[in-house]
Amino acid sequence: MDMILLLELAMNGVFVGLMYALLSAGIVLIYKTSGIANLAQGAMAMMGAYAVVVLAGGFGLSMWVAIPLALAVMFAFGVALERVALRRMIGQPVIMVIMLTIGLEIFLRGVIPGFFGAAVKRLDLGISNTPIFVGELLLNRAILIGGGVSLGLILLSILFFNSRFGIIMRAVSDNQTASWSVGIRVERAIAVAWGLSACMATTSGVLWGATQGVDWSLSLLLIKALAIAILGGLDSIVGVLIAGVIVGLAESLATGILDPIVGGGTRDVVASVIILLTLLFRPHGLFGREHIERV
Amino acid sequence: MSLTRRNILTGAAVAALASQLPVRVALAQGGDKVVRIAMPMDFTKVYTFVTAEYNQGQRDYITMMNQRGGMGGYTIAIDISDHANDQPRAIEAYERAKSQGAVLVDPLSTPVARALTPRALEDKINMVTAFSGRSDAADGTVFPYVFPLSPNYWTQAGLLIEYFKQQDGGSLDGKTICFVHIDTPFGKEPLPVLEALAAKEGFKLQAFPYTPPGNDQSAIWPQVRRARPDWTMFWGAGVGQTVALTEAARNGLDMGRVCSSVWLSESDMDVVGRDQTVGVLKFEPCVSGREPQVIQEILTEVVGAGKGAGPEDKVGTAYYNYGVMLAALMLEGVRRAAEIAPDGPVNGEWLNAGLHSITEFTAEGLIPPTTITPEDHQGGGMGRVARWNGEAFEPMTDWFSANQDVVWEEVRKYSSEFAKSGQ
Repeated sequence: MDMILLLELAMNGVFVGLMYALLSAGIVLIYKTSGIANLAQGAMAMMGAYAVVVLAGGFGLSMWVAIPLALAVMFAFGVALERVALRRMIGQPVIMVIMLTIGLEIFLRGVIPGFFGAAVKRLDLGISNTPIFVGELLLNRAILIGGGVSLGLILLSILFFNSRFGIIMRAVSDNQTASWSVGIRVERAIAVAWGLSACMATTSGVLWGATQGVDWSLSLLLIKALAIAILGGLDSIVGVLIAGVIVGLAESLATGILDPIVGGGTRDVVASVIILLTLLFRPHGLFGREHIERV
Repeated sequence: MSLTRRNILTGAAVAALASQLPVRVALAQGGDKVVRIAMPMDFTKVYTFVTAEYNQGQRDYITMMNQRGGMGGYTIAIDISDHANDQPRAIEAYERAKSQGAVLVDPLSTPVARALTPRALEDKINMVTAFSGRSDAADGTVFPYVFPLSPNYWTQAGLLIEYFKQQDGGSLDGKTICFVHIDTPFGKEPLPVLEALAAKEGFKLQAFPYTPPGNDQSAIWPQVRRARPDWTMFWGAGVGQTVALTEAARNGLDMGRVCSSVWLSESDMDVVGRDQTVGVLKFEPCVSGREPQVIQEILTEVVGAGKGAGPEDKVGTAYYNYGVMLAALMLEGVRRAAEIAPDGPVNGEWLNAGLHSITEFTAEGLIPPTTITPEDHQGGGMGRVARWNGEAFEPMTDWFSANQDVVWEEVRKYSSEFAKSGQ
C-alpha cells in the first residue's frame, strides 16, 4: 500500500470532514434549542449557495458583498420559517415536525433550481486550483481553506454556547416551561437558533459550492451531516467536530483502500453504516447526553 | 352519481376534449402534410445540464426549416414535454405522442430510452437515442426503429484510444490509462471496449469509479495522480464532469492529457473557470461554435428575426450544436421519406425508410459525412478530438473513426443477447 497516498487521503479526509461538520453544527444548534432534527439543512445549504450566485451573478455584486447579504437573507429566512411554519406545530407530535422539515427539503430542492436554473453554476471565491505540495504530499487548497473556515466557525459556535445568549439557548433546550417561568423569551431563542442554523448552512453551501459548483446536489450533503450529528451526539457541538473528522477520515480511507477491492462505491456506504451502527449501539452518540426519564 | 348541472357541464367538457384526440391524429396522418415529432425530455432532474441547450438547437433548426417551406412539402410539428427522467411519466408522454400521430420520439435519456425501446419496436415508431440509450442499438438489424444517429460510447472510447496512440508515436505499449467514471451503467459502459483495447494495444487500464452524482471526488483524484497516468479519460455528466475537471486541475494533472466523452461544454468550462482548464480534450461529434454555415443561417433567419427558442448566447455552444445536428438528421430523414413516398401515408414506417436512406449527409459541414443504413444506425461512427483553448473547443484532428472492429464485436454481442432474451 502506498503510504504517501494513505497520508494524503487522510489529510484531505480530515478537512472534508470538517466541511461536513459545519452543516451538522446547524442541525445540532436547532436540536439543542428546540429538540427537532432539521432534515431540510441540506436544502438550506443549497438555497444559501444559490442566494450567493444570484446576488453575485444576477445583480453583479462582488462576492464579498454577496456572501454577507446572502447570510442576512438566510438568517431572515430561518427566523421566518420558525415563525410561520414551526411555531404552528407546537403541541404536535415530534414526528409531524420532522415530516414538515422533510417536506421543506423536497420543496426547496424542487423550487430553487426550478426558479434559478438547474444547471451547475460557478461560485468563485478566488481560491487557486494550484496544488500545495508538502514533500510528496499534495494538499487540496480549496478543501484546506474550506476545512479551516469550518473549524473556525465550529469553534466560534462552541464559544457562543458559553455566552449569555448561548446559556439562554441551553436553558430553553433543557426545559422550555422552566425557561418561560423565569422570563426567558423561548420563541425568540428558538427563532434565532433557526436563523443562525440557516447562516451555518449558507456558509457550508458556499464552501462546498466553491468546490463543486452550485446545483441541486448540494442538498445531498444532508446525509453526511446527519451521520456526523448522530455519531457526535445530536446535542453536542464538540461531538460534531470530532465526528466530522472521523467520518471524513473513514470515507476518504475507504475510497482508497476498499474501492479497489470491491470495485467502488464505498464512500457513501460509510455514512450509512455509521448512522446504523451508532443508532444500534450508542443511540445518543459519542458525546450526546443520555436522556433518563423517571417512571 | 346525481345528474346535477355541474356534472353535466364537467361531462360535456371532458367529452369535448376527448373528441379532439382522433381529430389531431387524423391531422397528423391525413393529407395536410404534417410530420409530428415528440420530444419528451428531462428538463428538470438529471439531464438538466444538457436538455435546455440541446432542445433549443433542435427547435431553432426546425423553425428555420419550417419557415423555408418544410421538408419535401411537409411541415414539422413538435410536441415538447418534461418527463423528468421518470419512466412512468415518459411512457405516458410516449403514449400520448403515439395517439396524436407522432412518427418519431426523442427522449434524450438513457433509462427512458431503454424503457421505451420495446414499445417503439412494437409500435414501429422511430426513436432517436443520440448520446443516450443502448449502445447496441447501432445494430439496425435488431433495433430497426431505434436510431442513435451518433457515435455511441464504445465508438467514442475507441476513437480516443486511437488518438492517444497517434500522439504517443503509434504505440501505447506499457502506457497507463486511467478511466475515471461515474459508477452507473452509463459510466461503466466503455469498460468492455477499453479492456479489449488494453489487451490489444498493451496498455495498463486503471478504472476509478465515483459515487453518483459525483459532487465529491476528493479521494479519487489523488489516486489517479499517484497512478502516474500517461492519459486520463473522465466519463460522467453534469456536476460529475465539472468536479472531475476541477479535481484534475487541483491535482496538477497535465490538462493536455485529460480527455472527456461528448459530455463537456462551454457551460462546464464556465463553472470550472475558462482559464483553469486550457488544454483539456473531448470527443466532438459535430463542429462547435458559430462558424458552421447552418448556425450562421439560424442566427440570421431565426434568432435575428426574434424567433429564437432560448437565450442568444447559447447559440453555437457544444450542446446547442448537438441539438441542431440531431434535428438536421431527423429532418433529412423526413426529406428522404418524402422523396421516396411523396404522398405518404405519414407513419413510422414511412419515416423509417427515409432515415435508412440518409447518405453522406453533413448538415452543411456541421457534422462528419453520415450514412444510415438498415445495418448501421450509428452513422459510421465518425468524430474528432477537440481541445479547449480557454475560449472555445478547437479541432485537433479531422473527422475519423477507429477501432470499429472491437466496437462492433461488442455491439453484436449485446444486440444478439437482446434478440434472444429481449433484455
